[in-house]
Amino acid sequence: MLLDVWSLALIVCSTVVAFLMVFAGRSALRVLRFWNPASDDNRQIRLENEIWLTSTLVEYGLGVQIISLVVFVLAADHFAGSIPGAMCATGALLADPRGMPTLLIKLAGVFLYGFWLLLHQLDIRSEHYPLVRVKYIYLLLLLPFLALDIGLQMSYLAGLRPDIITSCCAVVFDSSSGGGPLLLRAPQVPVLQLFYATVLLLAGLAVFLLRRRRITAAIAYSLGWCWFFGLAMVAIITVFSSYIYNMPFHKCPFCILKPQYHFIGFLLYGTLIPATFFGITPVLVEPFRHRPGLAGPIAIYRTAALKISLFLLLVFTALASFPYLRYMLTGGES
Amino acid sequence: MQILARQINVLDYALSSLWRRRMKNLSVLLVFTAVIFLVASFQMTTGALTRTAERVLENAPQITLQRMSAGRQVDIPPEYAARLSSIYGISRIVPRVWGYYFDEVTGANLTVMGLATDRMPMGDQLHLALASGSFPGPGSRGSVVLGRAVNDMVQARGSHLLSLFRNDLSMASFEISGVFADATDILTRDLVVMNIDDARDLFRIRGDRATDLCVYVTNPNEINTIARKIADLLPDTRVVTRPQILKTYRVVFGWRSGFGSICLLTALTAFIILAWDKASGLSQEEKREIAILKVLGWQTADILAVRFWESLLVSGISFLVGVTLAFIHVAFFDAALFRPIMVGWSVIFPPFHLVPEMTAQVVLLIFCLSVLPYLAATVIPAWHTASVPADSALSGA
Amino acid sequence: MLIELESVTKIYNQGRPNEVRALDAIDLRIGAETMVCLRGASGSGKSTLLSIIGCIFPPTSGRAAIAGRKLSRLPDRFLTLHRRRTIGFIFQRFNLLPELTVLDNITLPLLPLGVGPADRRARARELMERFGIIHRENFRAAQVSGGELQRVAIARALINDPPIILADEPTAHLDSRLSHVFMDLMAELRAAGKTIVITSHDPLVTEHPAIERIIDIRDGRIHAA
Repeated sequence: MLLDVWSLALIVCSTVVAFLMVFAGRSALRVLRFWNPASDDNRQIRLENEIWLTSTLVEYGLGVQIISLVVFVLAADHFAGSIPGAMCATGALLADPRGMPTLLIKLAGVFLYGFWLLLHQLDIRSEHYPLVRVKYIYLLLLLPFLALDIGLQMSYLAGLRPDIITSCCAVVFDSSSGGGPLLLRAPQVPVLQLFYATVLLLAGLAVFLLRRRRITAAIAYSLGWCWFFGLAMVAIITVFSSYIYNMPFHKCPFCILKPQYHFIGFLLYGTLIPATFFGITPVLVEPFRHRPGLAGPIAIYRTAALKISLFLLLVFTALASFPYLRYMLTGGES
Repeated sequence: MQILARQINVLDYALSSLWRRRMKNLSVLLVFTAVIFLVASFQMTTGALTRTAERVLENAPQITLQRMSAGRQVDIPPEYAARLSSIYGISRIVPRVWGYYFDEVTGANLTVMGLATDRMPMGDQLHLALASGSFPGPGSRGSVVLGRAVNDMVQARGSHLLSLFRNDLSMASFEISGVFADATDILTRDLVVMNIDDARDLFRIRGDRATDLCVYVTNPNEINTIARKIADLLPDTRVVTRPQILKTYRVVFGWRSGFGSICLLTALTAFIILAWDKASGLSQEEKREIAILKVLGWQTADILAVRFWESLLVSGISFLVGVTLAFIHVAFFDAALFRPIMVGWSVIFPPFHLVPEMTAQVVLLIFCLSVLPYLAATVIPAWHTASVPADSALSGA
Repeated sequence: MLIELESVTKIYNQGRPNEVRALDAIDLRIGAETMVCLRGASGSGKSTLLSIIGCIFPPTSGRAAIAGRKLSRLPDRFLTLHRRRTIGFIFQRFNLLPELTVLDNITLPLLPLGVGPADRRARARELMERFGIIHRENFRAAQVSGGELQRVAIARALINDPPIILADEPTAHLDSRLSHVFMDLMAELRAAGKTIVITSHDPLVTEHPAIERIIDIRDGRIHAA
């Protein structure tokens, strides 16, 4: 389906990201090769200026990557209209073995580009620019990853054919019937208990960390977020989504993005993904705090990230629970 | 908060800067608007066509059966319907005669449909599709309902009868009892609907045979299952389901709109090159301005932010204007610019009204195809302009 | 000392055939609340010196500290951050943006600081009142007379309330009357507690009574006055 206009939009997005990142990569090579903070010659001044170019390029890249993630899901939803058996994005993504990996890699891209920008923001807060090397090596490592993203996406689009028969989300995520590659047979009640327990635990850890600094607690908080991200996805699929749809057997992480459910999915993922980012990253930048001039900025980020992730965690939990609670309170009469 | 306030200030400055250089920006704005207009018009036209096709198919039977022999379609005897009675979930089976009639005088190809209106579900509501008159009832032989084009053809001859020839060249004349409404044009333009017995007589189909059987199903979710059962039970039939036809349409339209978009992408590419060029050119005046701003404490990042807002404003305005114009073009002028290309191109393109839909998806799609490449194309020139050194504003430099 | 330079050297295009040693081992200390003139012909290095004092670029070698902050090898971003707080610039020909209004010109340095429009206007109005140009608030800079322009330029330099005012050949394109007015305004600012550094070789500047010290620069070196 390479010729479909949605594929085209995806290809345009990828081309734009590739263009931006290749230029950023060129800049990275120059910086890594010639960076010399002791010098004030024209080259060093130009390189200092290039930092702004790369950061702007990656900022744009992140923006386009987020859009491309949304377009990818919407495109899959659109393709579902042409694939037998597919009723929504789930079917279209499973119609080809590269569908789900592409989605995951695009999601990972958002985290990775976001993390680069975090490193950059920390770096420019110290007058020594202590992370220049780290961030540019990291940037170069992003390039093969981007190539993988584009390659997978293209082969997914090329491999997607209307004659492939796939399953709709009702089959894939249905806990009552057997089979299906993404079968989530988790029973509802334990999932919910685990979900709310983890929310409470994370919130408690966040409050504790805001008062006192314990590296073990910080690591636990980050790991907790990794776990919570997966758990939240399971909870959305097995429990929350069906209350959003008001249909006990409709369990799908994509249909909630549709207009008939008031785009609530965008709100859910739009809080869950940044919350996870801010939940995980403080520990990842912690090793840099001994670099010159970074202790202060990292401490500021640590507090800010804790507050943001705590806030988004509560928003996400409220958003996800709302249809469930409404159902419980009204007994489904709505 | 301070970051937000800074962005608002920078946006404020970008607005005034755009206004000061309105002549320079106007050309980019106009060309970009034109490109977006084309892309959006095309997108909306194909979108409207797809949806019209889908709407038409909503009225099609859920399953259609045709008997095949030697790879060709042959008449289907009524016993076939009886043999399906064992399948649970079928609500109704209705025979239908569907054929084409070539009118040698005008060279027109008419679609002839013989219906047993009394046996169809909602058969008593068929008249809702008519602009005037009524459907031929079960007993009433010799009257037809015509699509607009056929009706115009008959009227042009100054006749009030439709005369058709049977295989043996004997003539069958029909009274016109009704004309289809304009809104159904896409499906009915060349259509002649008559009593199924009249159609059997016209095409010389024996007894109570039909060309196809329309199967109606109680639960739409079971269409595929029932179709499979039918295919097992009647191996010499071709089973066509409505979802299948719908998907075929979608694939065809998806392919077409993609192909057309590629053509339009060339226009976009040309524009991007123009935009790059425009953004790279930097007058002495602009250089001086940037150097002054830098001495006054603006960071390179601030200047880049100004350029970003400028690009976003230019593309945003072009986007809004282009998309609005495209909507007007498609909704009120029926995509007049594309008609010459579409007519010979589309399987269903009679002159009917297009109803474009402005969904979030369409807007996002057009945004990805126009604004994103523009923003990316202006970022590097923007950085070049932003790296004017501050000391060039001083006298010694 | 507000401005302290110690064996400051600036070399352009170091290690290339077109290498230029613009400043050579400059030692200079300027205390708070003084008015100094850097005198020298064009090409003498006085603009380079002004750029270093003005935190536009760092020296190649040597130690420079402006308003308590060491500049040596500070990246551009931090120089700019420091410049915003400490330096007010008055350019040759004033370098206003002709298409912007007087108000917008004066408030330009406040935009990247995230100062809101009401606050900007209030601060600019105070300065416009002080310099008698309030009636020109919404005129474009291109429509304003030379005498008013220089007041606009001074107001812009003061909008951040910096301790140091740098003026780059301010009288080079002014007639003698306006030059006198300009110097009198500078004397007023000096009296109000600012430190003022003016580059010039105009006798109207160098011989002005308010100038407390003249620093002669030739070939990138300071010659005792």
